[in-house]
Amino acid sequence: MSVQHAGLSRLRRTEAWTAWVFVAPVVLGIGIFQLYPTLFSLYVSLTDWNLLTPPRWVGLSNYVDLFTVDRFFYQTLINTATYALGTVLPGLALGMFFAVLLNRNIRGQQIYRAIYFVPVVAPAVALAILWAWLYDPNFGLINSVLRIVGIHGPPWLGSTHWAMPAVIIEAIWAGLGFNIVIFLAGLQGISREYYEAAAIDGANAAQQFGSITLPLLSPVTFFLLVTGVIGAWQDFTITYVMTGGGPAGATQLIVLYLYTQAFRNQHMGVASALAYTVFVVIVALTVLNFALSRKWVFYEEAV
Amino acid sequence: MTGSVSRRRFLKLAGAGALGALLAACAPAKAPEPTQAPAGNQTVAAPAGSKKIVFSSYTWSGSEAAMRSILDVFMKQNANIQVEGQFVPSDYDAKVQTQIAAGTPPDVGIASYGNTVTYAKSGVLLSLSEYVSRDSFPIDKMQAAGVAQYRWNKGDFDTGAEGGDLWGLPSDAQGLIFAYNKKMFDDAGVKYPTDDWTWDDFVSAGKAITKADQNKWGCMSPDVGLISTRPWPVWSAGGEMHTADFTKSSLDQPEAIEGLKWMWDLIYTYKISPQPGAAAQTGPFQSGQVAMNIDGVWAIADYSNIKDFDWDIALLPKHPKTGKRTTDLESDGWWIYKDSKDHESAWTLLKFLSDAGGEKLFADANYVIPPNMPDVAKDWYAQKPPEHRSKALDNLVQDARKVDACYYENGTIVSAFLPVLQKAFADGTDIEAACKDAAKVMTDELTKARTKFSQ
Repeated sequence: MSVQHAGLSRLRRTEAWTAWVFVAPVVLGIGIFQLYPTLFSLYVSLTDWNLLTPPRWVGLSNYVDLFTVDRFFYQTLINTATYALGTVLPGLALGMFFAVLLNRNIRGQQIYRAIYFVPVVAPAVALAILWAWLYDPNFGLINSVLRIVGIHGPPWLGSTHWAMPAVIIEAIWAGLGFNIVIFLAGLQGISREYYEAAAIDGANAAQQFGSITLPLLSPVTFFLLVTGVIGAWQDFTITYVMTGGGPAGATQLIVLYLYTQAFRNQHMGVASALAYTVFVVIVALTVLNFALSRKWVFYEEAV
Repeated sequence: MTGSVSRRRFLKLAGAGALGALLAACAPAKAPEPTQAPAGNQTVAAPAGSKKIVFSSYTWSGSEAAMRSILDVFMKQNANIQVEGQFVPSDYDAKVQTQIAAGTPPDVGIASYGNTVTYAKSGVLLSLSEYVSRDSFPIDKMQAAGVAQYRWNKGDFDTGAEGGDLWGLPSDAQGLIFAYNKKMFDDAGVKYPTDDWTWDDFVSAGKAITKADQNKWGCMSPDVGLISTRPWPVWSAGGEMHTADFTKSSLDQPEAIEGLKWMWDLIYTYKISPQPGAAAQTGPFQSGQVAMNIDGVWAIADYSNIKDFDWDIALLPKHPKTGKRTTDLESDGWWIYKDSKDHESAWTLLKFLSDAGGEKLFADANYVIPPNMPDVAKDWYAQKPPEHRSKALDNLVQDARKVDACYYENGTIVSAFLPVLQKAFADGTDIEAACKDAAKVMTDELTKARTKFSQ
């Protein structure tokens, strides 16, 4: 009996050792390049550091300053919340709309799906530059087309009122393909039987959509909502490339502000404090999303 | 049975081997390898015992090729020093600061003069005063305002101390140009700008040329986003951005308000400039949208590509009462990082780049920016286009001041008050109130910066 025990635990130890050897590169990678910098950043957020001289301990004063004396923090939070709301919700609605359209067996269905997915795989910087040109007040395509119809287009990225809507439109367009593809996968997971049964009962297209499609798609919608919110709060590239946060801070998003503090003003401590604040906000929103999900997400039970 | 066990063992060993290789690659915790530009610039095989130094710079169109050719000339003349060029297309400061934090800064680097005080105060730069006097470097041949950017004594909030410690050498002297589109002037029947032009002549010409419905404008109002480096309307009106001791902002003083209001009036009162957001991406002057534009002298390289119309430059229009046309004099430079392992070789390179011989190499390579030493600069300014390129040098010699963007934390301070001004320019709201609000913000930030400075 004891011999069998010893043999078993030695086998387990060998297996465990083997498992660790195989997993070690990934674990080390995450440890060195993700976990360590995250913890180091927490430390930096409690210091005053300009990269050139050793960090100076200041405790929580970076955080306190953010919420009390920082000139741009609250505006940046509002900007980012507006951006998140403006890109995620329309993005979901449009994504679902196009996915339903693309779910029919029409000719060229695969080509259409590929076309809609192209912005997702194109470099974000290239798309931002492209749209900056589209928005050019004098020579850009958008204002040129408006001129044909007789409308004098706004300066778009040059106007404090239009810059944020312009950025939001680009963001929705760039992320639409991803939403469409995921929704399509979800749609194809809905059994035809439901629709057939509903049709027999006399339900029209709208009723079928509302009673079958929407609820059965809700897990997918939930996934896209959560990841969309997280992504929107972390967005940097679009405003960095298109507007630099301007004009007059109208499109200053919080990660761009963090970057400015870190690499233009050399305030590493403040930037790290901003990063952790964003982290807390995102966690709070995600928890909220999960809590609310019980009300509207419907997970199909296996019969 | 035996087969499956040995395959398993093989996989185990392979996994362990891969892990070992990964650790070996990661083991020396150095800063990541700096990005190397594609074509190597070491045409000569390094002789035994040669010293190696790193030269680092940001790049803009054409500058990298010119720089590499100059480094090649240096290496030919100094066979025992090998220079590795690091050319960074964007986010230069972030890269260099990371390198400094990792303890592996370049040896010689392009200076970001806005950070001179921070860098010198933090002890990351090598003081050059002794080297200059030891080797009798002809520092007095250089434009004084440019050298002043790199003079700093400990405890000073700003650079420019008379005879202060030298922390870098200027590489050029850049002022502003007043460019005008000859075709638009001809079409409107307006005479070209002269040396006697005042702000009022500028506005009259603008009014005659502007046809807003055809998107043709007399001028582009100077970008208020650049007011900290180019406060020429404020300076020419007799105003300042801040008091000399940096305790208060002077943006709420009548002279500063007059300067800023003139810029604002161009858009909203005289209506000879498009709104800031309505400028074309290609550049309002190059695209023929505006007839007059005031830009940095480096714009000449860009404007040289203009094919649709003839253009020229003139002296800045002078203030009608004070008669001033004060341009800023901005000098990029080179400096040596203290953590460099070979100060002597770094200084040799620095000397080479900055003396008359080195500056002439830049001028000959059709470098975008004019050299600093006036004798060498004369040749650069004698070139065409445009016809009267020398006017830019005349303005520099006549009426120039050290650029006012070297003081401690100027980046943070400016980014705090700038949005207040930018909003007034973008939306057309009360500019005088905006100046007063901006002054309050600036004074506040100056106080914070001075407190931080003394910590």
